[in-house]
Amino acid sequence: MKKALNAMGNYFKNIGIAFVKGDVWVKLSAVLMGAGYLARKQVINGIIMFLVEALFVVLCVGYAAPNLAKFGTLGTVQFEQVFDPLTMTSTVNDYDNSFLILLNSIIALFLIVVFIMFWIANMKAVYRLQVRKENGEHINTFKEDVQALFNEKFHITLLTLPAIGIILMNILPILVLVAVAFTNYDQQHMPPSALFTWVGWSNFKSLFTDSVTVTFGYSFKKVLTWTLEWAVLATFTTYIGGILLAKFINNKKTKMPKMWRTLFIIAIAVPQFVTLLLVRNFFADSGIVNTFCTSIGLTDFLKNVGLVPSNLSYIPFLTNPGWAKVMIVIINIWVGIPYQMLIATGVLMNIPEDQIESARIDGANPLQIFIKITMPYMLFVTGPSLITDFVKNINNFNVIYLLTQDVYVTSDQLLANSNAKEVDLLVTWLFRLTNEYYNYKMASVIGIIVFIICAAFTLVTFTRTIKGDKEEEFQ
Amino acid sequence: MKKTINSILRHLVLLLLAVVWLIPILWLFVTSFSAYKGINTSHFFPEDWTMDNYAQLFLRSDSIVQYNKWFMNTLVIAIFTCLISTVLVLMVSYTMSKLRFPGRKSLMSFSIILNMFPGVLSMIAIYFILKTFNLTNSHIGMIIVYSAGAGLGFLICKGFMDTISVSLSEAARLEGASEAKIFWKIIIPLSKPIIVYTVISSFLVPWGDFVFAKLMLNSGIATDWTVAIGLFNMLGKSMINKYFSVFCAGGVVISVPISILFLIMQKFYVEGITGGSVKG
Amino acid sequence: MKKKVLATLLATAMTVGCLTGCGGGAAEQPAAEAPAAEAPAAEEPAAEAPAAEEEAPAVEAPATAEEGTDPVANLIAATTGTVTLKVWASEEDQDLTTKLLDDFKAAYSDVTFDITLGAESESTAKDTVLTDVEAAADVYAFADDQINDLVNAGALQEVVANYTFDVVNENATGAVEAAAVDGKVYAYPMTADNGYFMFYDSSVFSESDVQSLEKMIEVADAAGKKIAMDISNGWYIYAFFQGAGLELKLNDDGLTNTCTWNAAGGTDVAQAILDLTASNVLVDMSDEDMATQIAEGNVAACVNGTWRAETAAEAWGDNYAATKLPTFKAGGKDCQMSSYSGYKLVGVNPHSANVGWAMLLAEFLTNESAQTARFEARGLGPSNLNAAGSDAVQANPAIAALAEQAAYATPQRVGGNFWSPAETLGQILASGNPDGTDLQELLDTTVEGITAPVE
Repeated sequence: MKKALNAMGNYFKNIGIAFVKGDVWVKLSAVLMGAGYLARKQVINGIIMFLVEALFVVLCVGYAAPNLAKFGTLGTVQFEQVFDPLTMTSTVNDYDNSFLILLNSIIALFLIVVFIMFWIANMKAVYRLQVRKENGEHINTFKEDVQALFNEKFHITLLTLPAIGIILMNILPILVLVAVAFTNYDQQHMPPSALFTWVGWSNFKSLFTDSVTVTFGYSFKKVLTWTLEWAVLATFTTYIGGILLAKFINNKKTKMPKMWRTLFIIAIAVPQFVTLLLVRNFFADSGIVNTFCTSIGLTDFLKNVGLVPSNLSYIPFLTNPGWAKVMIVIINIWVGIPYQMLIATGVLMNIPEDQIESARIDGANPLQIFIKITMPYMLFVTGPSLITDFVKNINNFNVIYLLTQDVYVTSDQLLANSNAKEVDLLVTWLFRLTNEYYNYKMASVIGIIVFIICAAFTLVTFTRTIKGDKEEEFQ
Repeated sequence: MKKTINSILRHLVLLLLAVVWLIPILWLFVTSFSAYKGINTSHFFPEDWTMDNYAQLFLRSDSIVQYNKWFMNTLVIAIFTCLISTVLVLMVSYTMSKLRFPGRKSLMSFSIILNMFPGVLSMIAIYFILKTFNLTNSHIGMIIVYSAGAGLGFLICKGFMDTISVSLSEAARLEGASEAKIFWKIIIPLSKPIIVYTVISSFLVPWGDFVFAKLMLNSGIATDWTVAIGLFNMLGKSMINKYFSVFCAGGVVISVPISILFLIMQKFYVEGITGGSVKG
Repeated sequence: MKKKVLATLLATAMTVGCLTGCGGGAAEQPAAEAPAAEAPAAEEPAAEAPAAEEEAPAVEAPATAEEGTDPVANLIAATTGTVTLKVWASEEDQDLTTKLLDDFKAAYSDVTFDITLGAESESTAKDTVLTDVEAAADVYAFADDQINDLVNAGALQEVVANYTFDVVNENATGAVEAAAVDGKVYAYPMTADNGYFMFYDSSVFSESDVQSLEKMIEVADAAGKKIAMDISNGWYIYAFFQGAGLELKLNDDGLTNTCTWNAAGGTDVAQAILDLTASNVLVDMSDEDMATQIAEGNVAACVNGTWRAETAAEAWGDNYAATKLPTFKAGGKDCQMSSYSGYKLVGVNPHSANVGWAMLLAEFLTNESAQTARFEARGLGPSNLNAAGSDAVQANPAIAALAEQAAYATPQRVGGNFWSPAETLGQILASGNPDGTDLQELLDTTVEGITAPVE
């Protein structure tokens, strides 16, 4: 933390120095960005800088300014269209689209921040050049600068392209999402026909209020609880199951381990959405499994035991809250174990045999060996990927959506009143809110909270891997 | 004697498990040959067998079923996606693993957190960003959606590269090789397993995604779709009873190339993942 | 009320037309190449209009009111280059629509068209349209329950004038009402059969059996068959509550609902549903499941719509029959089950670059001959009065049943907050109220959800 502050302090101190000690060219660079380079005879650098600045000015005037001017209100001119029945043509006024204003403003702000950083870097570089010249040191030619991009500055070359992609596909959308959480963007305020505007923190407030009709707070707690339960269950069942299956298949006593492994892999070679949609019909209320269970009398048995409500003639595999939750976890086990088995197989092959051997000599039984040696080793090796799986399960959209969409009807009225279901994860609830109810504002709020939860988990676990210097050990 | 019984029991358990795992797949397979187009709820095996569903997929394209087109679309998208993704992933992984520069660790933490952000949440924003570039309803847009953010998924690949000894690149550096040359001539050849893994896993993405594809390719014109949307569409409320067995046939058909890739990948998958995670 | 608004609008439209006519008169091309071949359709309704209905201020008057100015001819004259249009029709309607599009191109052969046809189910059109109105089709089909949301989102072009036929007077009143919001018509009725009624197997039930749900259950139980209805669905459960005289309606704001299902008598209906489903003969079943269950022979009667007619007719053969919904007993009284009358409509996207052509195409897709063709091809009930009056349509059992049910049906006007709570109410009642919640409390919570304010 202190380090970060120091770094930040230095960052700004350096510009200060550049300003105070810089000569006229450096100071001129603050306005005309290429000046400092031109003065040191780095003509091409100078021209490039100047062009960047010119481009930025053009963007500011043509793109950033008109959008940012409306950023405070997100637009005021409503869409109006007049149709002339005689000429059969329509005229549309010059209307504001709140969403586009928001999106473009965020892009513009982003560009401005990037430009300021670029400008600071430029100032520092220009000052460095001045110092070098004063000390009579070598000043790079353009060719040498380019070469540096493939040597000591190779990371810049390599990261530029991925960074652009990530900014476009990840960072900007997230910023937009965060901004939407503070607006009233919902079905009543949908561009292009209507405008939306800023509302401050009120969406966050309504998430946590439990008033009589708006049951968002209630639903949020319920859905969050099940999301976490599900993530824990789904992660550990497949993880343990995968290890057990791998051990079972790799055991020396098992004949033809490769064939068995392949059999299980076939199950995951069919794309997930195909298998999930298939399984959903397999277990449908009037599906083939139910036909089978009825004919062997299982349905009646379960009815007598009280596991199936007496007024049903089928097992509500995916339609009763209790059954559905259990089934979803089971189906997820079915989907997930083969993957985990593959990974576990790889790790188990590397397990130090001598430890197991010596434990066996000491008289430990297989169960003890598994708990005392195999599991700790597995956890040690696959710890990080276990956490990644956990976070992925929090956001496991496919399994829940494909198994329950259009099939599952909630029987909790309070959940129903805010369009949630017992089996919903935060992401599926959110998807429904945006996709079917266009409640973008609340979806954004939930999205931010999901993000915070995931980020917290990730930070806690990955700090160990990243901050610790262990990565050097293996090199 | 006890040993034999044990062995039989062990294989019986495995057989039982394998059956459990394969029953739905078998159902998919046999239903794809069913003459009855809807869902057969009383018989596991179809009563009348036919190849007609496959014929409908490949030979009788109509405005709903354009399987050949879907397949080609998905293939093209998948090829470009995996090329771009792999290049991006390798660039980032190499930088993070082998190069040392200020801010590297914070950049890594930042990207890992960013990668945890579920795409479903930011879909609408991505849609409108692409729309400003006029890339919705285009396959180029889909390729961008699937590959542009790929750089974030560098963790496994970086883990693998961490295991490549530094001494190799040190030696090359002493001989005056540039960083770019080290990347091309030393690291890339040594990373073959993880490259294969990255290529195949990114190749598979467009075959399985229907959420983004459905939002982006919203013209309603079947010839623009990918396999995933097309198949997903067949199970819509009004379609399922006429297209269920066709859906199964479509599912079987895409599974074939994917299974082959998967079997090839199996070795690299294990090597890549475990190579990448063998560290504390 | 509606007619009055239309008239006012018409007046405004005419004024606008006059103004533009006076201002840019010179620019207007005389209808020299007036499409003689195409024009007759435009004039026919005008000729009929006075005779048709007493209070009908012929909506398409602008088309003929001004001397010599035929908007369609003007449009054709003003159109240069290719007219690009995107059309969405449901998956089942693709073949027919393709044919109609060809006919459309032939009818306006002076103009080059580039029309693409996409598949978008009428029941989900709203979802796709609202996500990005600008990217949606120029002309699209949708179910009438979506009209409020679509109009609120500005996704429908108001039908301010007709050009080839009189939409208001040639279609059934209910269909026109369904296509209108606040008295303004926003869409072109395409079918009048999107409601529900009772299909049954006449070898199991006699005509007198199907008069009452209690009797039907008795008969089905004896025959070992099931009666299916999608009770856990707001659209269908409405039949019980509305039938018992309780109210559910959309408020004037077009967003929130008024609902009296928890008023006196509400618990009787809830109890009735509990009792009916307790028999395990009347079962809660989704539409897709019904299709298979009918085919398998397990279901001998179901509450569903014309889209299932084919399945039922196939499974039951000569015994296939359809009728209005039966009565059910609530609080000791026989109540006739109500229903939603439903229509499929065609709308024009106001963001279209060629609104004029889109309107002409929408008219073309919904005119009498198109509706007749749609009935012949798919058995869909026409909303066009002439088409619906044909003998073939009258003889169709499903459509006859729908007509019988029409007396008890209401148009579907309900705010978005209705669906989720109503669906859950149905689910709880159909599964026998497993938590034993007090029925009044159950209904109170449901009504709270249905009538919740929309922020």
